Amino acid sequence: MNRIIKVARMQLINKATFIGIPLIILGGSFLFTLAIWWLVRRNGSDEGLYSGGAQAPMWYFLALGIQALTLTFPFSMAMSISRRTFYLGTVALFSVCALVLSVFYYLIGLLEVATGGWGMGGQFFALQWIADNNWLVQILFYFVLMVLLFMVGFLIATIYMRWRTTGMVVFFTLLGVVVLGIIALFTFGNYWDQFWSWALNWTAAGITLWGGLVALLMAGGSYLTLRKATA
Amino acid sequence: MPRTTAIATRELSKTYKDVRALDNVSLELEPDRIYGLLGRNGAGKTTLMSILTGQNYADQGTAEIFGHAPFEHDPTLSRICFIRESQKYPDDFKVHQAFKSAALFFENWDEELAQDLVEAFALPTRRRIKKLSRGQLSAVGVIIGMASRADITFFDEPYLGLDAVARQIFYDRLVEDFAEYPRTIVLSSHLIDEVANLLEHVIVIDKGRIVIDSDAEELRGTAVTVTGEDAKVQEFIGSAQIIHRDALGALASVTIKAKLDSEQREQAKLMGLDLSPVSLQQLVVRSALSSTTETGIDERTEARK
Amino acid sequence: MIDDSKPIFLQIAELIENDIISGVLAEEAQVPSTNEFAAFYRINPATAAKGINRLVEDGLLYKKRGIGMFVTEGAPRRLREQRREKFQQQFITPLTAEASKLGIGLDELVAMIKTGSDS
Repeated sequence: MNRIIKVARMQLINKATFIGIPLIILGGSFLFTLAIWWLVRRNGSDEGLYSGGAQAPMWYFLALGIQALTLTFPFSMAMSISRRTFYLGTVALFSVCALVLSVFYYLIGLLEVATGGWGMGGQFFALQWIADNNWLVQILFYFVLMVLLFMVGFLIATIYMRWRTTGMVVFFTLLGVVVLGIIALFTFGNYWDQFWSWALNWTAAGITLWGGLVALLMAGGSYLTLRKATA
Repeated sequence: MPRTTAIATRELSKTYKDVRALDNVSLELEPDRIYGLLGRNGAGKTTLMSILTGQNYADQGTAEIFGHAPFEHDPTLSRICFIRESQKYPDDFKVHQAFKSAALFFENWDEELAQDLVEAFALPTRRRIKKLSRGQLSAVGVIIGMASRADITFFDEPYLGLDAVARQIFYDRLVEDFAEYPRTIVLSSHLIDEVANLLEHVIVIDKGRIVIDSDAEELRGTAVTVTGEDAKVQEFIGSAQIIHRDALGALASVTIKAKLDSEQREQAKLMGLDLSPVSLQQLVVRSALSSTTETGIDERTEARK
Repeated sequence: MIDDSKPIFLQIAELIENDIISGVLAEEAQVPSTNEFAAFYRINPATAAKGINRLVEDGLLYKKRGIGMFVTEGAPRRLREQRREKFQQQFITPLTAEASKLGIGLDELVAMIKTGSDS
């Protein structure tokens, strides 16, 4: 247990990676959005203002998932840490960071609503579609999305660590074949209309549930892959 | 009470694609000694150390550290330190951050020793590891290895890029610190002459096989080079095992495996033959060469087909 | 100093013996510790210990518990006697062999030794 916490402390030696950069990305994206909104309002528009800027740090988490593994895993081997301990420490650390950020999203979302969308009627944190849900679903929704993206990066990186270039080629070839297959199936079967009506009916709660399940599957997959990876 | 074995392997084998990196390696290493793991580049040294430290795994056979398989076993791993020659560090890490990390995981970490070595190697600790020269990078590995004071420490060609002065600092500090804090040290090297006197035991690996596994002191003086008139050299060496032979006209210089007594030495002098000692390095090179000559020829004929 | 002709522990023992014979290490004087020898000659401490232990076994050095290693009384005299016995074999035989190879007769050899020791 002790060594798992030490892995988290090792990942935090450079605080920018797990804490600083996501906050800078979020802050930058938010200020940029506010500036645009202000310009829009100044030009007299009174349409609703929405921004997807809150997603920005989430895409960084995809990169972080890759980086936490490729850069730190070979070093963790030199620190005489088992793969299991490295995995648990790293994933636990990210989960805590993601949870804190999710709660922050929820709280600042409340503030956003209370201030009438920062006085400009904008929606950055509290997008209607999410903010309509109860607090637990809101927090879990953000959390699952963050973990999901981190896990995508983490899984790809573990596959690389275990099977190197061969692993990458096989993985992306298979992925390409599957995606093409689905597109072909939908196109030739004329299922696209059905697909879009199905896709647009997803609720935040549904995404949270299924996203969580997929994240768990990827977590399990990357764990099993990492157990025999070599530095 | 019987002494526990620090490292034990039985019939360890590992194949990468079509290269047999380790071939039936069986070894036993006792605690609190300095071992030399010698051999040419690509002989299997790093593969062996990776398996012993759980960084890699064998296809066949077993490896045990203090009686326990190291793979994914934290209590065992925590007693080992192995910084690879090509060790990767997180891109954003500065030198002092790598040490901070090592201090977290190595229970016997000695910060004072680490700082002392930083000064001795004139290492810029605020610099990013990515930006270090090859020698400075080696110094980082050496410092982590030394200051970890792990029960078993592996040094993997630790001197790459270090100049003669820095290498001497490393050897001196190693002897000094080992004398004060005995532990098992495995020093992998192909610069044998430099480390020969530091070693208590020598393991030579070639093409994945162990060709020498012997006390360093027992090896010293086990071979001798006899130089002189070809016929007389032949007469003198008789049926002794020949490790190497050079000829120049009527002159021959033959290295044989033999421990000569004073009578034989006298006889050689009377016959007008020169006897010269064989260094550990020469012995290792010769042994490795003679163990691979046949396969070397095989490969060449294979290639011609 | 240290070479490859024979085991290092023997060479260490000989180096200490030489110091005892020449008086660098006087009778009852303290001998440097194993670790000091190891550091000075850059050799394995276990090897240095082996060399020193050999002299202890021969009774040329003795241990004072917790203090260190000392030269036994009478050690220089005993060593000189031992070395005298080896002198013939180590120096005289090869000397005469080399001399006969060069065609130097016994008288000439003696004369050379005399001039050599005068200078």
